[in-house]
Amino acid sequence: MTASTSRAPLTTADYPLSVNRPDLLRTPTGKALSELTMDAVVSGALTAADVRIAPETLLLQAEIADAARRPQLAANFRRAAEMTAIPDAEVLLMYNALRPRASSAEQLDALAERLEGEYGATACAALVREAAEVYGRRDLLARPEQD
Amino acid sequence: MTTTQPAGQSRKRTSLRTDILEDRPVNLDGFVEEWPEKGLVAMESAFDPEPGVRVEDGVIVELDGKPRADFDFMDTFIAAHAIDIATTEASMAVSSDEIARMIIDPRTSRDEVLAVIRGLTPAKILDVVRLMNVVEIMQGMQKMRARRTPANQAHSTSARDNPIQVAVDAAEGAVRGFAELETTLGVVRYAPLVAIALQVGGQVGRGGVLTQCALEEATELELGMRGITAYAETISIYGTESVFVDGDDTPWSKTFLASAYASRGIKMRFTSGTGSEVQMGNAEGKSMLYLEIRCILMARGAGVQGLQNGSISCIGVPGAVPGGIRAVAAENLVASLCDLEVASGNDQSFSHSSMRRVARLMPQLLPGTDFVCSGYSAVPNADNMFAGSNFDTDDYDDWNTIQRDLQVDGGLRHVREDDILAVRRRAAEALQALFRHLDLPTITDAEVEAATYANSSNDYPLRDVLADLKGAQSVMERGLTGVDLVKGLEATGFHDVAENLLTVLRQRVSGDLLQTSAILTPEFVPLSAINDANDYAGPGTGYRLQGERWEELKKLRHVTSASNPETEVS
Repeated sequence: MTASTSRAPLTTADYPLSVNRPDLLRTPTGKALSELTMDAVVSGALTAADVRIAPETLLLQAEIADAARRPQLAANFRRAAEMTAIPDAEVLLMYNALRPRASSAEQLDALAERLEGEYGATACAALVREAAEVYGRRDLLARPEQD
Repeated sequence: MTTTQPAGQSRKRTSLRTDILEDRPVNLDGFVEEWPEKGLVAMESAFDPEPGVRVEDGVIVELDGKPRADFDFMDTFIAAHAIDIATTEASMAVSSDEIARMIIDPRTSRDEVLAVIRGLTPAKILDVVRLMNVVEIMQGMQKMRARRTPANQAHSTSARDNPIQVAVDAAEGAVRGFAELETTLGVVRYAPLVAIALQVGGQVGRGGVLTQCALEEATELELGMRGITAYAETISIYGTESVFVDGDDTPWSKTFLASAYASRGIKMRFTSGTGSEVQMGNAEGKSMLYLEIRCILMARGAGVQGLQNGSISCIGVPGAVPGGIRAVAAENLVASLCDLEVASGNDQSFSHSSMRRVARLMPQLLPGTDFVCSGYSAVPNADNMFAGSNFDTDDYDDWNTIQRDLQVDGGLRHVREDDILAVRRRAAEALQALFRHLDLPTITDAEVEAATYANSSNDYPLRDVLADLKGAQSVMERGLTGVDLVKGLEATGFHDVAENLLTVLRQRVSGDLLQTSAILTPEFVPLSAINDANDYAGPGTGYRLQGERWEELKKLRHVTSASNPETEVS
C-alpha cells in the first residue's frame, strides 16, 4: 500500500488535492473525481461505494500532514489507510473490543493477529498490542466470569 | 427563588437598592467557594503536580514528578504519543515566563511557539498559561488558532424531533453563515429522519455546509459511513483514568475510533472540557484546567485534527468558581497551542444574566477561533435538544450588532426577510419531495406553509410520531445512503440542492476535509490550517474584517440611510 515512488513527496502547496492534484485521486473503485457527476448518479453508474476514500489517498494526506509538521495526524491517516479494507460492521466490533474490560489479553492478541494477518494492518495491530499491555497493568482486561 | 425567608421569622430590613439587586437575573446563577481537595478549583491548585520530565533511552521515564511505574493510562498515552521526546528536555528547560511571552509576542511566529509547546508536559503548559491574564489569553488565541478565517457552528434540533423544523432552521442557519450544523434527538429512533433533514436543509441555504448528528459513538459512526452526515464531534474524552473508564472508553479505543472515521473520509474532532471530571465525581484532587490539558494532549497524541472544548456541557462548574471563565478561555488557547482545530464552546445555557452570557463569549469572539460557538442555537432554546445554548435565535440581531460595533467576525450576517423565507420554503419543499420519493412519511402542504413562517416547534402541525418512527427504521433497514438522497433530490427537480449535496459527498474521496480546521467555502473549496494558515504577526496582519465581508456585516435589520434619513437600508 505504498504511494507511487516515482514522484516527489507532496508539500502543503499541493493542498487541497481536490483542487491542485485531482490527477492523484481515485475512488476505491478506480474512478477519477471528474467521473463523480450527477449524470452518473442518475444512470446508477455512481453508487455509495464510489464516494469512499481510497487508502492511497489517505497516504497522500499523511504526506501533507507530515509536511505541515503534524506527525500524529499523519500516523492517524496511516492507520486509517489500513482500516479502509475492514468492513464497516467489523470496524465497529473492533472498536467495541477495545473498550475497558471488554476483552481478555488473549482476545486482544487475537484481534492484533487478525488486523495484521487478514488486513495487513500493522500500525493498527501495534496500537492494539500497546493497549493490551496497558490494560493488563491497569486492570482493564475483561474480568473472568463469576460463578 | 430562594431569597424569601420562611414565614414567621423576623425579617431584617434591607435597602430598596438591595431589593432591586436581589431581583437581578445574575442572582439566580449558582456560585460556590473553591474546594481544591475535590478538584473544585479552576486553575490554581496546590495539589497540581510540579512540571518535570526525564528521558532515558528515548523513553519518558518520569512525567511531572511521577515515575513511569506509577503512570496511569493518561500519563502512559501522553508520554508515548503526545510529547516530542527528541525536544522535550530542551523545551522544558525554557522558563514558563519566556514561553508565555513568546505566545503573546507578535514577533515570535506561530510555528516557533508550536515548536516549543510540542515538548511540554501537562503541568508545564499549565504553569505557562497560569501566568496569563484574560487579555493575554486572547492575544495568544489571535495568533495561535489554526485557521486564519474564523467560523461558527450551529445546533439545529426540535423539541418534537420534527424533521421539517430541523431542515428549515438548518437552511436559515446556512444562509446566515454557519459553516457547520449539528443536530441531536429527544427520541433517538428519530435520528435517521432528522439527520436526513439536516443534511438536505443545510444544502439549501448555501452550498458546502457540513452536518453532524450527535449520538452514541457507534450509531454516529454508522450514519457517517452511509453519507447521511458529513462530520462527527461527540467523541468524549476525560482527564482522569477513572472518569475515562466510566465513559466506557480508553485513549486507545478513542484513537482507534479516530482512525475509523478517517478511514471513511469523515472529518472528526474529540470533545472535552473543564469541569467534566469533577461533575462525574472523580477529579482526583486536580484542578479543572490541569485535567483538561491532559485531555488536549491525549487528543494530539491520538492524531485527531481537532477538539471541541471550552467546558461544553459542564460550563456551570467552572462558571461557579473564581476565575472559572478565564480557565475556560485558557483551555481553548491550549488546544490551539497544541495545533488542534478548536470549536470553542459557548454552546450551553450558562447564565440567567445576559451581561454574563456576553462576557463569557468575549474571549472567543474577539480574537476569533476556528468555531466561535460549538453550537449556537439556530432554533429557540426551548427547542434545543442539547439542553439550550449560550445564544439562540432570539439573539441573532444582537450578535450581528456586536459584530458591527466591534468590527469582529463571529461568522454570521444579517439576511433580509424575503431571502430567509425563500430558503425556508425551499428546504421544506425539498424535504417534502424527497420523503415522497423515498416513500417516507408524508409532509403536507400545510406543514410546508407553517415551516416557512415558524419560530418554534409549537408553530408546526403535529406529526404522526409512530409513522415517522417506522419511516426512520426503514431508512436503516433499506440501507439508504447519501447517494440515494442526491438521486431523490435530482429526480424531484431540486437539482441545485442535489448538486450541492453531491459535491459535499465527493469531498470524501479527496480527504481534504480531514486536515486540521477544514471547512468548505460557499464555492466548495476546502479551507483549512494548510491553505488558510493563521499568519498573524501583529497589527495589520492575519485575518482582518475588511472588504466585501465587512460591507456585508455593516448591514442590520434597521440602518438609517445617509442619503435619505427618512428611509432605512438593510
